[in-house]
Amino acid sequence: MKQLLNWVRRRDLESGLDRELRYHIDCRVSDLMLSGLPEPEARRQASLELGNLTKVREEVRDVWLTRWLRDFVYDLRFSARSFLRSPPFTATIVLSLALGIGATTAIYSLVDQVLLHALPIRQPQRLVLIDWKGDQVANGFGSWNLMSYPICLDLQLQDRFFDGVICRAATTVNLSTGGEHKPAAAEIVSGTYFSVLGVGPALGRVLATDDDRTPDASPIVVLAYDFWKSQLAGAPDVVGRRVLVNQHPMMVIGVAAPEFRGIDVGQVPSLWIPASMSAEAIPGFHDLLDRRTRWMQVLGRLRPNVTLQQAQIGLQPWFKAMLDEDTRRTGFPRITAERRKQFLASRIELTPAAQGHSSLRRRLSQPLWVLFAITTVLLGLACLNVAGLFLARGSARDREISTRLALGASRGRIGRQLLTDSLLFALAGGLLGVALAAPAMRALIAFLPRDVAANALQSAVDSRLLLFALLISVAAGVLSGIAPALQAGRRSLISSLRERGGAIGGVRLRKAIVTVQISFSLILVVGAVLFVRTLTGLLAKGPGFDTSSLVSFSLDPGRNGYSPSETSRLIRRVDDAIRASVSTQTSGVASFQLLTGGSWNDPMTIQTDQRVTTDRDVNLNAVSPGFFATLGIRMVAGRNFDDRDSRTEGEGGRRSAIVNEAFVKRYLGGRNPLGVRICEGSGPDAKPNVEVIGVVTDFSYRGLREESEQAYFEGDDGGNFYVKVRGTPEQAFQSIRTIIHNADPALPIANFRTLDEQINRSLNTERMLATLSGAFGTLALLLSLVGLYGVMSFVAIQRTREIGIRMALGATGSSAIWLVLRDAVAMTAAGTAIALPCVVALGRLVESQLFGVKPTDLITIAAATLLLTSGTLGAALIPAYRASMVNPTDALRFD
Amino acid sequence: MPPPRFPIPQGTLDMLILQILSLEPAHGYGIAQRLEQISRSVVQINQGSLYPALHRLEQKGWLKAEWMESDTGREAKFYSLTRSGRKQLAVEKDSWARLSGAVRLIFDEGSRS
Repeated sequence: MKQLLNWVRRRDLESGLDRELRYHIDCRVSDLMLSGLPEPEARRQASLELGNLTKVREEVRDVWLTRWLRDFVYDLRFSARSFLRSPPFTATIVLSLALGIGATTAIYSLVDQVLLHALPIRQPQRLVLIDWKGDQVANGFGSWNLMSYPICLDLQLQDRFFDGVICRAATTVNLSTGGEHKPAAAEIVSGTYFSVLGVGPALGRVLATDDDRTPDASPIVVLAYDFWKSQLAGAPDVVGRRVLVNQHPMMVIGVAAPEFRGIDVGQVPSLWIPASMSAEAIPGFHDLLDRRTRWMQVLGRLRPNVTLQQAQIGLQPWFKAMLDEDTRRTGFPRITAERRKQFLASRIELTPAAQGHSSLRRRLSQPLWVLFAITTVLLGLACLNVAGLFLARGSARDREISTRLALGASRGRIGRQLLTDSLLFALAGGLLGVALAAPAMRALIAFLPRDVAANALQSAVDSRLLLFALLISVAAGVLSGIAPALQAGRRSLISSLRERGGAIGGVRLRKAIVTVQISFSLILVVGAVLFVRTLTGLLAKGPGFDTSSLVSFSLDPGRNGYSPSETSRLIRRVDDAIRASVSTQTSGVASFQLLTGGSWNDPMTIQTDQRVTTDRDVNLNAVSPGFFATLGIRMVAGRNFDDRDSRTEGEGGRRSAIVNEAFVKRYLGGRNPLGVRICEGSGPDAKPNVEVIGVVTDFSYRGLREESEQAYFEGDDGGNFYVKVRGTPEQAFQSIRTIIHNADPALPIANFRTLDEQINRSLNTERMLATLSGAFGTLALLLSLVGLYGVMSFVAIQRTREIGIRMALGATGSSAIWLVLRDAVAMTAAGTAIALPCVVALGRLVESQLFGVKPTDLITIAAATLLLTSGTLGAALIPAYRASMVNPTDALRFD
Repeated sequence: MPPPRFPIPQGTLDMLILQILSLEPAHGYGIAQRLEQISRSVVQINQGSLYPALHRLEQKGWLKAEWMESDTGREAKFYSLTRSGRKQLAVEKDSWARLSGAVRLIFDEGSRS
C-alpha cells in the first residue's frame, strides 16, 4: 500500500533523491579540495566513491516500488494508452469478455447461494444432517430426510457426539397480525433450534428448550426479521403482541437476528413456532409424540473433538437398541418378517449440512451445474476470441515488437507486456461483467417459482462474488493472453524485421483457436437444441387435459379452526355456489393439487384371482364427482363417482375407486378392470375392499414429465378447486372471491391461478435451461463466427497476391473462392469432429434433464451441425468473395 | 598502505546506520563520513549502497527524514531514528550479541579439544 503511494508521489521522491545525491557529491568534493586536490580530480574521485549513480538511483527506486510492480505499472500505462488509441478493437474485446464474465458470475452467484453458501450461524461446518437409511415403517409428510419428533428427543441425549440436536419442519399457517388472515410460511422447530444454531434475537428473545416441553402449553412465536420489517413496519413494541396462528392466539416473544433466514434457502419462514404447538400449527395433526410419523428434518451440531465418522459409528449401538425396542412397543404395526428384517437393518447416516437443508437445492443442483458448465465454456470461447484478436493485432504490431527486441528487450519482458494487455482487458471486461451480472441475476431468480415461502436468493453483488469475478477475470486474461505472449517470444528476429507484409506466424495458431471455438459452440448449440426441444416437447404434450378457461385455487379451512366435518360442509357449499354462478361452467375439488411436483402416493394391494402389491408407489387423490368433467378427462370404461360412492358422515373407509389407463396396463394387463378390488398400502394387514368402478385416460398429476399409475377415491372435502370458467379468468376470480367471502370472510384463498400458469410454473426449470442455453448457444455461435470471419479475412488478404497470379493465369472466380473457403471447410470439419465425441460424453450428464429426446438424438445433432456449418460458411464466404473479385493487376501491385 | 579490509557482512549495514543515528540525527554524507571512519580501520563499505539502505529503513518506518539547514548553510536531508527504529536497534544488537557469543563458544569448544 505504501509502495503504491510512492508511485503517486514519485516525482517528489525523484527530485528529493537528486538533491540528496548532489549534496553528497558537493560536500565530498569540497572536502577533497580542502585536502589539496584540484577540483576536476576531486569531482572524479567523489563520483568514483559513490559508484554508478544510475545504478544507485535504480536501487533506491526498487526500494520505493518493487521492481516487478514498477514494470507492471509501466506496462499498464502503455497498454491503456495503446487501447485508447483503437476504441473499436477495445470495445469488441471488453464486450465479449464482459458477456462471458457477466454470465458466469451471474450463474455462479446462484450456484453459490443455492448450493455452496454456508448458513449465517455459529460454526456451520459442525452442523450435520441426521438421516434414517432404510424402512422406518412409518407414515409421513414433508419433503426429504424425515424422522419423527421422539427420535430427535432421543438424539438430544447423545451428548457424547452432539453439542445439540434440532428438528424442524416447514409448513404454511394462516397468520393474522391484527387485520387480514394471510397464509405465511412457518418453521416448526424444537426448542433447541436457536441455541444450537447459535442465532440470537434482534428484539425480545428467541425460543428456548423450556418452550418445547409440554404439548400445547407454549403459545408463542418468534418472527423473522424481514417479516417484522416488511409486514409490521418494524414496530418496536411487537414483543408481547398477540397474533392468530390458524385462529389460535399466540404471543410474539421476539424477532430473530437480521441475517438469519431459516435453514432452507428455498423456503424462508416468516415465523418460528415451537414443536410443542404443532397441533395448532398443522390442523388435524396430533402425532407429535408418535414414533411412527416422520415429518421433521433432524440436524445436529457435532462436538468440537468428534468427527462425522466417529459420530456415525458411535451412534449405531444406540440406534440398533432403539430399533429393537421399537418393535416391542405397543402400537408398532404388524409387519411381515421380511419387512421387519429390513426395519432392523436400518442405519443412521450423517451428512455435512453447513448449507442447511433445502429441497430447492435438491431440485436445482443439476440444472445449475449444467448452466455453470455452459457459461464456463462460453467464457472460454470469449477468451479464445480475444486471443484470436490479439494474435491479429500481434501481427500488426510485429514491427514494433521486433524493434523492441532488437533494442535489447528480453522476450520475457515483451511477453509480459502482452500479458498485461490482456489482463487489463480482462479486468475492464470483468468490471463491466459484474455490472451486467446484477440484472442478469434478477432475471435468473425470476425463473424460480415463488409460493407462500419466498426464497432467500438475492441479486446483490457481495464480496464473495466480486472475488469470484476477479479470479475468473484474471484467469480469462491469462488464458487469452498466453498464446499471443508465447507467440511473441518465439518469433525469429531477423526474418520478422526483414518481412514487409504481415507475418505468417500466428495464422496456424489462429486457425487452431477458431477450430476449438467451432467445436465449443457446436457443443453449446446441441445442448441448446436439446433443452429447447425438451421444453417444446413438454408443452406440446400438455397435461393430458384441456387447460383453456381452467382456473384453480386452494382453501384450507382446517387452518381457520374448522373441524373435518365442518370443512367438508364448507367445501361442498362453496363448490355448489361456484357451479351455480353465471361466470362458471363446472367445478370440482381434489384433496391434492395437480402439477406441483408432489402427490399423495403409496403402494397399493390389488385383489383379482390372486393378491398382488404394486412394485412402486401409485399416485393417489380424492376428488369430487365434478372433477373429471371439469378437467375434460374422458372415462374410458365404467362410470364416474356419484351419490352411491359418497360416504355418509361418520362412516370410515372408501367404497370405490377410479384408476387410470396406465394403472390398468401395468397391473391388470388384459383383465377387465371393473370390479377388481384394491386398497392403499402393501402390508399383510392391507384389506383390498375398494372396488374399481371406472377407468380414465392418463393425465399429468405431479408434473408434465411423469407418466404414472394413478388411483382416485371419492371425496369432496379436498380444498383444491378446479373451475371451468365462462369469459375471462379475471371476471371469474371476482365472482369466486365474492362467493368465498360470503361463506367465510376470514378464509384466505391460496394459489389463485389459471392452469396454464400452473403449467408454466411447473416447467420453470425446463424454461430456465431452454432460455439460457438458447441464449448462450446463440452468443457462442456469434463469437465463433466473428472469430472465423476475422481469420478468414486475414487469410484472404494474405493470399490476395497468390489469387491475383492465379487469376492472371486464367483461374476462374469460383476456384478463387474455393481456395479461401477450403480453409473454412477444413476448420469446420475439424471442429465438428472434436465436438461430436464430447457431445456423446457430456450427453449422459444432462440426460435426466431432458424429455422426449435423447442426448445423442441424430436429428438434433444434424440440425445443430447444419446451423453451425451454414453459419461458418456464410462468415467465410464474404472474405472469399472479396478475394475473388480482386483485379489481378491491383493484386500484383498490392505488395 | 592501509591494512587489508574485508567486505561488510550482509545486513550489518542497516545496523551500523541505526547505531550511528542513535547518537544524533545526520545527513547522508555525514553518515558516510562516520562509516568511512569505521571502515578505514576494519570493514569496507560501498558508499553507493548507503542511499538504498537509508531509503529502505525509512520505508520500514525506522528512520524519519527532514530537510534542514546543515552547518554549510545548504539544505540537507537529515535522518533520525524513530521510536520503532530504536526498538529495532536494540533487537539487532541483542541478536548480534547472541550470535557472536555463540560463535565464540563454538571456537572455544574447538580449541579446547
